[in-house]
Amino acid sequence: MTVMRYAEALNAALREEMQRDPSVFLFGEDIGRYGGVFKVSKGLRDEFGDARVRDTPISEQALTAMAVTAAMSGTRPVLEIMYADFLPLSLDALVNQASVFTYLWEGQVDIPFVLRTQGGGGVGTGAQHAKSLDAMVCHIPGIKVVAPATPADAKGLLKSAIRDRQPVVFLEHKLLYNTRGEVPDGDDVLVPIGKAKTVVEGKHVSIFASSKMVIEAENAAKLLAKDGVEAEVIDLRTLRPLDLDAIRRSIAKTNHAVVVNEGWTFCGYASELSATIMEHCFDDLDAPVARVAMPDMAIPYSEPLEMAVLPNAVKIAAAAKKALA
Amino acid sequence: MATPITAGAVAGEYMETFVIVEWRVGVGDTVAEGDVLLTIETAKAAVDIEAPSAGVVSAIFAEADSEVPAAAVLCLIGKDSSDVGYDGDDAPVKGSSLSSAPAPAMMVAERAAEAPRAAALSARIIASPAARRAASAAGVDLRAVRASSPSGRIKLRDVSGASQSVPAFAAPVSAGLPADENGPLEVHRSGAKGGTPVFMIHGFASDSLSWYPLDRQLAKDHPVYRLDLPNHGTSPKRQIGSFANLVREVRDAFDTLGLDGAHVIGHSLGGALALALADTRPRKLASLTLFAPGGLGPKVNGDFISGIARASRPDSLAAWLKVMVHDQKLIDPAFANAAFAARADGNLRAAQSHMGETLFADGTQSFDLVAALHRLECPTRIIWGRKDRVLDWHDALQAPGHVGLHFLPDVGHVPQLEAPDLSLGIISALIKSV
Repeated sequence: MTVMRYAEALNAALREEMQRDPSVFLFGEDIGRYGGVFKVSKGLRDEFGDARVRDTPISEQALTAMAVTAAMSGTRPVLEIMYADFLPLSLDALVNQASVFTYLWEGQVDIPFVLRTQGGGGVGTGAQHAKSLDAMVCHIPGIKVVAPATPADAKGLLKSAIRDRQPVVFLEHKLLYNTRGEVPDGDDVLVPIGKAKTVVEGKHVSIFASSKMVIEAENAAKLLAKDGVEAEVIDLRTLRPLDLDAIRRSIAKTNHAVVVNEGWTFCGYASELSATIMEHCFDDLDAPVARVAMPDMAIPYSEPLEMAVLPNAVKIAAAAKKALA
Repeated sequence: MATPITAGAVAGEYMETFVIVEWRVGVGDTVAEGDVLLTIETAKAAVDIEAPSAGVVSAIFAEADSEVPAAAVLCLIGKDSSDVGYDGDDAPVKGSSLSSAPAPAMMVAERAAEAPRAAALSARIIASPAARRAASAAGVDLRAVRASSPSGRIKLRDVSGASQSVPAFAAPVSAGLPADENGPLEVHRSGAKGGTPVFMIHGFASDSLSWYPLDRQLAKDHPVYRLDLPNHGTSPKRQIGSFANLVREVRDAFDTLGLDGAHVIGHSLGGALALALADTRPRKLASLTLFAPGGLGPKVNGDFISGIARASRPDSLAAWLKVMVHDQKLIDPAFANAAFAARADGNLRAAQSHMGETLFADGTQSFDLVAALHRLECPTRIIWGRKDRVLDWHDALQAPGHVGLHFLPDVGHVPQLEAPDLSLGIISALIKSV
């Protein structure tokens, strides 16, 4: 085990996969010479050269289409979109190309690429640089979506994503890059896509979260413990495909579910999760599934207002108590 | 054949329940006509119930401190202690088994539960899916299960035979507040069908019953609407967030009634709310009477606000009730018990405490209605006791010239209770003048 920052863990995953497979290459805005605005690709251009670590102009639409065609041509591109807020510019390549080409060519072609991006609020970056658009990419069949919360999962899942035959959208969080955690040593330690992880065991209420919301959910569990409530926190890790077995197991035990997502509430990821739970776990539910998500509004630039609207541990604990009351 | 004793008209035509304060007789006691059988508390007044005829008390159905339906049979007076049969198609129990009944209070409780339960039999049962499954597996009839959740939904823990371990705090949440309840504020209507309407808004930590006896007097000539504020009386408990939100709730309740030309009366916080209502609905008000209104200055007795909202025993409540009035004799044990009965619900006290912290943070009235007072168009009277220890009566001196001021000597924060005749006289004259 080595203690690493989340950004360092991603960097290690990229380096190891580039060493392992010469068809892996990186491109995106400011990822080469500058090392990425969040320093995830720091040092990789020096190590692998500018043919495999490419700086590009600002054009998310062209970049994503390029990733799709490069993947079809037999390489394994890893594209960085600097802010998840600009995923809408990538959507055509995802919705009309990456997700359907394997089907249209009757399985003759794989689309093995990774689109890395980061979202989330909490640092005053305003309405255009703080969103969580998980639901937009999760809506597309044929695209896998992962959102790790810890350095170990960040590394293990990025390696799995790079090796996957399907397109994977890899969602990071700007407030996670500096978090530290133990990361298993070894070049071949993978975290499987599609497997959730129980991070806090409990028997009264299940809290489902991903990315930075896992930390909020863990803090909510600590708040709830003061009232004698044992909350179970499940880190989904992969948003699509969903680990339905893990969800079912937990709710069969607790009978109460709180679903958390930093994205908007209406038609959001929390809503999808809530509906899925209702369909698959209905008879286990002792209360309506509670959603804790971003209100349907722009993220305010003002810090107190931003803090007021983002989902957090206090709101999660309150939702859990309401479900249990 | 025994005579069933009920509270009769004493309970008031608009009261659903009352509280038994004290029994003066026991089973087997011989009574004469006119003897006091028991004392009940209704509309915050203690009333004695007398024996209508001589006889022997053959059964008592309700214990002291219990809340009973207004129509409940309280006891029987028979020829002797075994005379327990009586007329009445809804007799709870007949025959000799009554005298050996171990828990007579239960019978009244069951009678009280009859009506809602009958309704529940026909209505859809609200139960969680998990509770339904557990009930089905255990052969439990959900119609016989009581919901413990504030949501009213039967949960797993309510179903006997269910194995789920319940969180230590169960419901309500121990450390926090009860879950917010939905629904409109309660408005209690009484009085005449015709006539100009009267709309009354009570003060903090009080409720619509506190207008007694003023409301009864006004009800003779007017339809009287008494509002229960959120977290007070029978209104929903929910966090109000701010004074502005509270004003909105009161305005919504007022608008829903569709009253035209209402005589609005408010006390203390209710006075501030009445003022805010008059400011936004000037054409709907015929007159305004403010008893010791809030919102005319920053000063408020913060200890009183937190103390009265928190008081969890009749004794501690009585101590704070005495701060409200000048004549301490007004707050006798019966009054304190009756007032406490209205606030026995811990959730209600918690919700009121939080509401008090919201409205009177830092021991300050954070809402300023002096400008609204100056904008008033309708005839207005302010009635204030010079011995008020909760709010400062000098605040009223900011009123503009067309507002009539009445400062009462040797009266505290509750003129309508401490000087009821004078208060009624001022209001009656005001209403007549419009």
